[in-house]
Amino acid sequence: MAIQYILDTFTQLLSPINLLTLVLSVFFGLLVGVLPGLTSTMAVALLTGLTYGIAPETAILSLIGVYVGAISGGVQTAILLNIPGTPAAAATALDGYKIGQRGEAGLGIFLGNASAFLGTIFGAIAVLLLTPLLSVLSLKFGSWEFFLLALFGVIMCGSLASGGDTLKGWISGILGLFVAQIGLDALNSYPRFSYGNVDLMAGLPLIPIMIGLFGFPEIVNSFKNEKVKAIKEEMTYRVRKGISILISKFATVIRSGFMGVGVGVIPGVGEDVAGWLSYWAARVSSKNKEEFGKGAYEGVIAAETGVNATIGGNIIPVLTLAVPGSTSSAVLLAALWLHGYRPGPLLMTETPGFIYTISIYLVVSAFVMLILGLIISRYTVKLLQIDKRILMPIIFVICAVGSFVIDNKFFSVYIMFIFGIIGLLLSKTKFPAAPFLLGVVLGPMADSNLRRSLVLSDGSLAPLFTRPICLVFVIIIAIMILAQFKVFSKLQAVLFKKKANES
Amino acid sequence: MKNQKAVVGGIAIVLVVILAIAWPSISGMFESKDTSWPKKDITVVVPFNPGGGTDLTSRAVADEMSKSLGKNISVVNTPGASGSVGTISVANSPHDGYNILANGFMSFVSYPVMGYTETTHRDWHIWIATFAPNVIATQPDSAFKDINELIKGLKSNPGSVTFGTAGIGTGGHIASEVLKSSLGIDYKHVPYQGGNPAIVAALSGEVNVVPQLSMEMVDMLRSGKLKGLAALTDKTLEIEGADPIPSITEAFPELKNIVPLGEAFGFAVPNDTPENVVQKIDEAFKKAMESDSVKKLATEKGVQLLGYSGAQAQEYVEKLASVVDWALFDGGVAKISPEKFNIERPGK
Repeated sequence: MAIQYILDTFTQLLSPINLLTLVLSVFFGLLVGVLPGLTSTMAVALLTGLTYGIAPETAILSLIGVYVGAISGGVQTAILLNIPGTPAAAATALDGYKIGQRGEAGLGIFLGNASAFLGTIFGAIAVLLLTPLLSVLSLKFGSWEFFLLALFGVIMCGSLASGGDTLKGWISGILGLFVAQIGLDALNSYPRFSYGNVDLMAGLPLIPIMIGLFGFPEIVNSFKNEKVKAIKEEMTYRVRKGISILISKFATVIRSGFMGVGVGVIPGVGEDVAGWLSYWAARVSSKNKEEFGKGAYEGVIAAETGVNATIGGNIIPVLTLAVPGSTSSAVLLAALWLHGYRPGPLLMTETPGFIYTISIYLVVSAFVMLILGLIISRYTVKLLQIDKRILMPIIFVICAVGSFVIDNKFFSVYIMFIFGIIGLLLSKTKFPAAPFLLGVVLGPMADSNLRRSLVLSDGSLAPLFTRPICLVFVIIIAIMILAQFKVFSKLQAVLFKKKANES
Repeated sequence: MKNQKAVVGGIAIVLVVILAIAWPSISGMFESKDTSWPKKDITVVVPFNPGGGTDLTSRAVADEMSKSLGKNISVVNTPGASGSVGTISVANSPHDGYNILANGFMSFVSYPVMGYTETTHRDWHIWIATFAPNVIATQPDSAFKDINELIKGLKSNPGSVTFGTAGIGTGGHIASEVLKSSLGIDYKHVPYQGGNPAIVAALSGEVNVVPQLSMEMVDMLRSGKLKGLAALTDKTLEIEGADPIPSITEAFPELKNIVPLGEAFGFAVPNDTPENVVQKIDEAFKKAMESDSVKKLATEKGVQLLGYSGAQAQEYVEKLASVVDWALFDGGVAKISPEKFNIERPGK
């Protein structure tokens, strides 16, 4: 049966119109991913509107293609300009930008694209083999677990992105959490910090904040009166070198793949968390921890694999429960419905072949993404050779327009400006911007889930210690915080002193 | 120099793409006034996230409408504050029919008493496409085997049975509030961000009951992952491929006044939209309601096709407003009295 389904899908794929659709939609996705401000959710939503008239298979193929492309495109600007094209690429920018500044942007993008490819394939395999198993996991996360996951994400990102001073990372993350509180609260619709302004009531838009925080400092810094350091870019890099790096870090790829799929399966938790989580895991288990943040290849590999593996992960609960794993897959779910598919608990019995179709679409999209991504990067790496004083004003226009097109409101452009100035202050005072952004992303999740949990438990905090997944999170968070204040080494010192005194 | 040229070319392509995406809004700034309609593409604003009931219904109907209007209809999602953010944005854009609001009218009628808008449903032309009733559902292995046991449980342990809903002021919450005020029960409200998370919470056992819409849980009912105890309809709810769900009036005939209760999905434009435009939308809407794809959506999703427009739609929404707004006000959820907007108590 399985082979029959796979053959059917491939015969469909080979028709010229489907091949053309695939290439075009992946290319469109990559462009959207490269441009800060245009997100994968937007790309999938935009395309959904355009696919009404065409055959369902072609429509779904184009949506999967654009999804894969848009998630993978963020790596380019992250490495070249330190402006992540998507919020998820913020973890990639951490090491990727340093790699680019070192003159290895080509190699960096190759590694990013190749890891994205491997991550997508990993996700596709998970869809094919683990769907029944993993859909159980998506029911294991209750309100308490969501709260702790969000908290863990911000604390983890704070210590990863801080470049030495973890406290600054945490402060930045908590500021982000505060910004996320603006607007109607999710439980009681009570307006917070909105002063009767309707735009503020809806909450601050995420993408303009991201563009401001990351884009502004880069733009302003390029006009400083320093001598412009021209980067001697090695245009040609050895693909063989890239592949050998990948092979040597294959354990990281597998680990990040698992983490990405796992995070993807949990409903409502998106790619950004997966990127940071795989980056964290790679750093914790690496022998050369001090290289991370200074341009480690492994950092880019971990982040990109993790981010892309979430695509497959996100699709699993869509197929089995009709519950999307992220906002982009929510749009995909709506598109599936519109084209007459019925994802949900009945899918496996009604159309068992569909799961194969989706996995194969993911795999072919990954291949096309890899090839197109590498072709595009041949042109984009040249950005580094342009005088930044010419390039950056153009980037600035793209940033402003990118903020505007999110919802066609000037309010978003103002937000981009305001957070641009905040981003500038943060970078001047050496506070990292990435935890701030993740705080804004995860703030609503942390806030609403904590309060919902407290409603469920009648105000008791006991479930934090009685639910197994919670307990694991609590222990990890406690260790991270205590380690920062050197509690363990002090404890060790005290204990050893005692022993010394006794003897 | 060659490189610079290549890059400038690349940037030009990028700018063209951005312009293309932003074009509907840019071109809107230069449009001249003209009476024939539609001259350009139409935007339907869905004030909720993609994939929800409003989104699915309006996309399906709007697609059919665009066929008879001969222009593209693009659907834009502007979620926030129970859909009032998108509603206000349509009210504030030109009243020329190029910006059509899609909404669920149960939440739509609650905006004035919730303090989101100063205007009411009477300031809009309304079209109602479909109706999805609330279904009181539990896990199949729940302690509550039928609606009588559930209400008994609610009465003996006031405030301890948990109801997971899509959030304050949404369909599921309003239905729970109506039950609370008319049956004299008390429940513990656990709001989620959307119908899907609430249903997942019921599947995983985090909440005891989910009172969301039939259309949101239809496949869960078909596959037996959720069990429908009662539907807030006037007769038994038949869903293709699922066990029939008894009407709540079988156990509690005194609820005749409040059923059918559920979300009605459709479109609205401000009252002062030109008459010929309203006429055109009306024709396209009626044609769309006759189409196979909308009918298919109704059977698959377990919703009723209503197809109301004009006075009939206004009358329907008026009744909905009186049930919903008073339940919200009596339950202390809404702070502004429906009297302020001359909305009468139900059953008068």
